[in-house]
Amino acid sequence: MTQSTHEQARKLMALAGANAAANDRADRNDLSSAQLNWLRAHLQDCADCRNYADAAGHVVRKLRSQPVAADFGLVRTTQMRVRSRALELRRQQERLWVICICCAAVTLVTASTTALLWGAFAWLGQQVRLPDPVWQFGLLGLGLMPAIVTGILMLARGTYWADHNGSTEG
Amino acid sequence: MNATAYCFLNAMESEPSIIARGLRRRDPDLLDRLIEQYQHRLLRYLISLTGNRELAEDLFQETWIRVLERGHQYDGKHEFNTWLYAVARNLTIDYLRKKSPVSLDAMMEDRLLRDEDRAPLEPADTQPMAWEVIEQHEQAERISAAMIGLPSEYREAIVLRFQDGLGLEEIAAVIGAPLGTVKSRLYRGLNQLMGRLGGMQA
Repeated sequence: MTQSTHEQARKLMALAGANAAANDRADRNDLSSAQLNWLRAHLQDCADCRNYADAAGHVVRKLRSQPVAADFGLVRTTQMRVRSRALELRRQQERLWVICICCAAVTLVTASTTALLWGAFAWLGQQVRLPDPVWQFGLLGLGLMPAIVTGILMLARGTYWADHNGSTEG
Repeated sequence: MNATAYCFLNAMESEPSIIARGLRRRDPDLLDRLIEQYQHRLLRYLISLTGNRELAEDLFQETWIRVLERGHQYDGKHEFNTWLYAVARNLTIDYLRKKSPVSLDAMMEDRLLRDEDRAPLEPADTQPMAWEVIEQHEQAERISAAMIGLPSEYREAIVLRFQDGLGLEEIAAVIGAPLGTVKSRLYRGLNQLMGRLGGMQA
């Protein structure tokens, strides 16, 4: 038997959970039947690898019996944090919906009133003899005013909550 | 659709797809159940990654928050634990990168040298005889110490394979490495572990 034969056998043992020889099936089907049969045959003939298999099997059994327990407090704290975050995300989602609805409403109102406002500004421009770009710029300013005011208010609100709560959540 | 057909379809639906649907809805009851179901396995995996129980507990919480936030990314076609471990792994890597530019192994070796009284992986509550408790505790400490002494990539593969019972393909999916790499890490890791635990009696 060559050194590589032993190494091959030991690799198979490691993959099979180190106790393939004792099992009748491949561990989670990661070893084929042919590999298992070859390994069993090798272990029957090779005392060194049999000892290695025993030692590896022992280590793996100890590993599997190694208890690591998450304590109850950790689980409860995690569950509470997850619930709290879920609620936060739901509120954010709801706010997003409100914003979307407001945007849609504003778009509709803008579309329906633009023609009217355009006419009114054009008439006003003619009355006070303003050049066209001036009253057109004024109309643009009026159109952007709600967005500017809303942006300022939201910034102020965000700053307020960050100063008082350490977060931007209300 | 009548109630019988609905129940039948529900019964036919696989566990991963039920979880995927619940995660898309951010169902808090489902998350509570998952946290309880995977508590020990996830904590053990995180300890294997970080080598530190306190840090692992912090990352345990953050992992579930991330599962909540990114639950829609779980497709329900693979086992949930594979996806969960991948989330935990990425989170741990992100955290360690932010905290320290040194490698995971370098950080843990340094901690081992400095922190003599570091708590070992604590055994679950049992009530055996006093000498058994001492023996079990000593054995748990030896295994913990031997595991902590392994390179993190070997330790991770060993925990996923021998403690969590994941298949080789699943481990490859979690760690994002080829199958050959997983096999090699398992073999080398087990060899090193056996070397470190050489004196342990059956």
